[in-house]
Amino acid sequence: MVGQVVISGLLAGSIYAMVALGLGLIFGVMRVLNVAHGPLLMLGAYTTFWLFQRFGLNPYLSILVSMPLLFLLGLALQGVLVRRVVDAPELASLLLTFGVSIALVNLAQLAFTSDLRSVEYLTGSFLVGPFAISKPRLAACAFAIAITAASFVFLRSTRLGKAIRAVSQSREVAQVCGIDVQRIHLLAFGLGSALAAAGGSLVAVMVAIQPEMGQVYTFKSFLVIVLGGAGNYPGALLGGLLLGLVEQLSSLFLTAQVNEAVASVLLVRVMLVRPTGLLKGRV
Amino acid sequence: MAPILEVDGAVKRFGGVAAVNGVSLALEPGRIYGLIGPNGSGKTTLFNCITGVDHVDEGRIRFKGVPIDRLKPHRIFHLGVGRTFQVIRVFPELTALENLLVVTTTGYAEARARARELLARVKLDRLADEFAGNLSYGQQKLVEFVRVLMTDPELILLDEPAAGVNRTLLNELLDAVRRLRDQGKTVLLVEHDMKVVMGLCETVFVLDHGEKLAEGAPGVIQADERVIEAYFGR
Amino acid sequence: MKRWVPVGLLLLAVALSLYPLEATGYGVRVMLQLFMWIALAQSWNLISGLTGYVSFGHVVFFGTGAYASSLLIVKAGLPWPLACLGGGVAGALLALVIGWPCLRLRGPYFAIAMLGLNEVMRVIVSYYEGLTGGGNGLSLPTLDASLAIYYAMGLVAAGVTAVTYAILTSRFGLRLMTIREDEVAAEAMGIDTLRYKLYALMLSAIGPGIVGGLSARDQGYIEPISVFPLIMTITMIVMALFGGKGTIWGPVLGATVLFFFQEAVWARFVYLHQLLFGAIIVAVVLLMPRGILGVLQQKYNLPRTI
Repeated sequence: MVGQVVISGLLAGSIYAMVALGLGLIFGVMRVLNVAHGPLLMLGAYTTFWLFQRFGLNPYLSILVSMPLLFLLGLALQGVLVRRVVDAPELASLLLTFGVSIALVNLAQLAFTSDLRSVEYLTGSFLVGPFAISKPRLAACAFAIAITAASFVFLRSTRLGKAIRAVSQSREVAQVCGIDVQRIHLLAFGLGSALAAAGGSLVAVMVAIQPEMGQVYTFKSFLVIVLGGAGNYPGALLGGLLLGLVEQLSSLFLTAQVNEAVASVLLVRVMLVRPTGLLKGRV
Repeated sequence: MAPILEVDGAVKRFGGVAAVNGVSLALEPGRIYGLIGPNGSGKTTLFNCITGVDHVDEGRIRFKGVPIDRLKPHRIFHLGVGRTFQVIRVFPELTALENLLVVTTTGYAEARARARELLARVKLDRLADEFAGNLSYGQQKLVEFVRVLMTDPELILLDEPAAGVNRTLLNELLDAVRRLRDQGKTVLLVEHDMKVVMGLCETVFVLDHGEKLAEGAPGVIQADERVIEAYFGR
Repeated sequence: MKRWVPVGLLLLAVALSLYPLEATGYGVRVMLQLFMWIALAQSWNLISGLTGYVSFGHVVFFGTGAYASSLLIVKAGLPWPLACLGGGVAGALLALVIGWPCLRLRGPYFAIAMLGLNEVMRVIVSYYEGLTGGGNGLSLPTLDASLAIYYAMGLVAAGVTAVTYAILTSRFGLRLMTIREDEVAAEAMGIDTLRYKLYALMLSAIGPGIVGGLSARDQGYIEPISVFPLIMTITMIVMALFGGKGTIWGPVLGATVLFFFQEAVWARFVYLHQLLFGAIIVAVVLLMPRGILGVLQQKYNLPRTI
C-alpha cells in the first residue's frame, strides 16, 4: 500500500518539480511571483490538444511545439509587461501577473469555450509486482525527468545557464561581470513558460482540459518554491517530489476535499517555521 | 564605576565568515569612545549586534548589567540605547517633526514640545513641517541625530556621523556630542574621518577582520604599528 | 475650504439616507454593494496602504465573517445585526491568530502566506460539513432586509473611513507608516513593529468580517467558493490602488469608479468582462501605481488627510 503510494507520489511529484522549476526560475532571477504560471501550463495543454485533434500528432511529440511556442509567449510577456515591475514592490508583480492570468483564461474561454476536452492517447497501467503503474503517468514522469535533467545541465554547464544562476544570486554583481541582465530576464521568463507548457502537454493526456485548469498548478508551484527555497533550483526538484509524496500519502488517510488543503496547510506551516525554505534559499 | 556597556567575546558569523570574531570591550559612562578599523572589519556588524538588529552567535552583551544580546531592537532602545545609521534612515514621508514624534510614548503635547525644542537646538525648527524626504542630506542627518535624543538615551551609538557632511555642520554635530558627554551620556561612534576621531574621542577601539586589534587614547593608537599596518600595510 | 468638507459630507450622508425612498429595489442593491466594496477597499488600505504589508488573501476575513455570522444566525438564533458584529469579531480574532506568526514574514512571503491561508480556510469550512454544510453551502432563513442592510453597509463603509481618518491623524498612524517607510529604523527607534502590525491587521479584518456577514444575510445563502474567492481580494486591492492607497478617500474613489465601471461593462460585455478587468489591473499597476489621489497628493503637495 505504502509502496504504491510512494510510486504514485514520485510520478506526480516529478511533474510538479518540472513546472515549479519554471516558476522558480522566474522568481529566482527576477523576484517576480508569476501568478500566470498556471494559465501558461493551460495553454500548453491546449496546444497539445489541438495538435492531437487536428493532426493526430502524438501528444508527447507536441511538446516540441508547445515548449517553443510558450517560450516565445513568455518572451513577449516579459518584454512588454513584466520587465516594468521587476524592481517594483512585490504587490506590483503579483497584481500584474494576476491581470495577465485572468486575461489569458478569459481569452482561452473565448477561443476554446469552457467545454472539457481530453486527449485519449495512453491509458491503462503496467503491473510490476504488486504495484500498478499508470502508463500515462509513467510516460509523463519520464519526459518530466528528461526535461528537468536537460534544464539542470543547461543551468550547470552552459554559459547562459551560469549567467542565470549568477543573476539569481546577485543582480548587481552579475551586471558588473558584464552579463546582460535584461536578456537573462527575458530568457528566464521564456524558459519558465516553456517548462509550464511542457507540464501542460504532459498532463493533457491525463486530466480534463479546460481554461481554469492551471490555477491549482500555480498554487502548488508556489508551494514547491517555498519548500525548496527561493532561487534554489535543485531545491525545487526536491520540493516537487516531496509535495507529490505528501499528497499521495495524505490521500490514504484523508478525504479528497482535504487533500486539496494539504498543499495549503503545508505551505502555511513551512512559511511559519522556515520562510526561506526547507533547504537553504535566498530571501 | 560600573561599565555602562560590556561586550564579552562577541562572535557573529555570516555563512562561513566571522564578521565579528571574539570582540570584548567595556564602556565607562560619561565618555566618548571611537570605533575604527578598515572597511569590513566588523564595526557596523558590532553596532547591529549591540542594538539588536542582529544577534550574536556567541558571547554576551550587557547594558548597565542587563543582558541585551537576545532582545529585540525596540526593547533595547527603551532601555536607553539609541543609534543612528551609516546610511541615513529618516522616514521620508513623515515630516521632520513627525519623525521625532513617533519615537516617544509620552503624551502628545509633551512629545511635540520636546520635538520642537530638539529641532530648534539644531536650527531646524522652521523646517519642522517639511517632509523629511525633501530635506537636504545634511538636514536629514541632523534630524536622525536629534531623533535619537527624543527619549534621552544614556548610550548613543553614532554610525559614521561625519560622512558626507560639510565642515560647519560637522562642527555643530561635534559640539552637540561633547555637550551630550558633559550631560553624563556615553557616546560610541564609528568613524573613518581620523581628524574627527582624534579630536573628539577619549578612547579608541580598533577592529580588524572582526577582532579587536588595539585600544587606548587616540595619540597612542595613532602611533601603534599594528594599527598602521592594518590600515595601510599588508 | 475646510468648512466645506464636513458640510459636504453631511449633505452626502443625507442624500444617501434618503436615496432608498426614490430608488428601486435594484438600485438599493447596487448601492449596497458599492458600500460593501468601499468598506473592503478601505479595510485593505488600513493594513497594506499604511504599513506596506500586502495582504494578498484579505477576502479570508470576509469569508470567515460570512460563515461566523451565518452560523450565529442559524445555530445560535442571534438577530442578524448582532451576528454580523460577531462576524467582525471573528475576523479580528482570525487576524490575531494568523498575524502573530505571519507578520514576521517579509514581503513576498507574507503575500504567499496570506494566499495560502485563504485556501486553508476555504477547505476548513468545506471539511466541517456537519457544521457549515460543506460544499452544499449554508442557507439562512428567508428575510427581506435589503433596506436595513443598505443602511448597515453604509454605516460600515462610513465607519471604516472614519477610523482611517482617525488613524491617519494620530501618532498610532504615524507609527504604522514608519513600518512602511523603514521597518528596521522603526524598530531601532523603539517601535514594537510586530505589535503595531498586528493591531493594524486586526483593525483591517473587522470591516470585511462585518460586511461578510451582511452580504451573507442579504444573499440568504453562502458556500465556500463564493466567499473566499481570490478575485475579491484582487478587486479590493485594485480599487484601493486605483484611488490611491495610503490616503483616506482613495479607496472610496477607487471603489466608486471601478464598481460603476464594472457594472456598466458587465452588462454589455459579459464574455469579455474578465479580460477587461485583467487589462485594468495591468493598466493600474503599470501606469498609476500611486493611484489618482496619490499622484495628486504628490503633484500639488496635498495634506495627508486627503
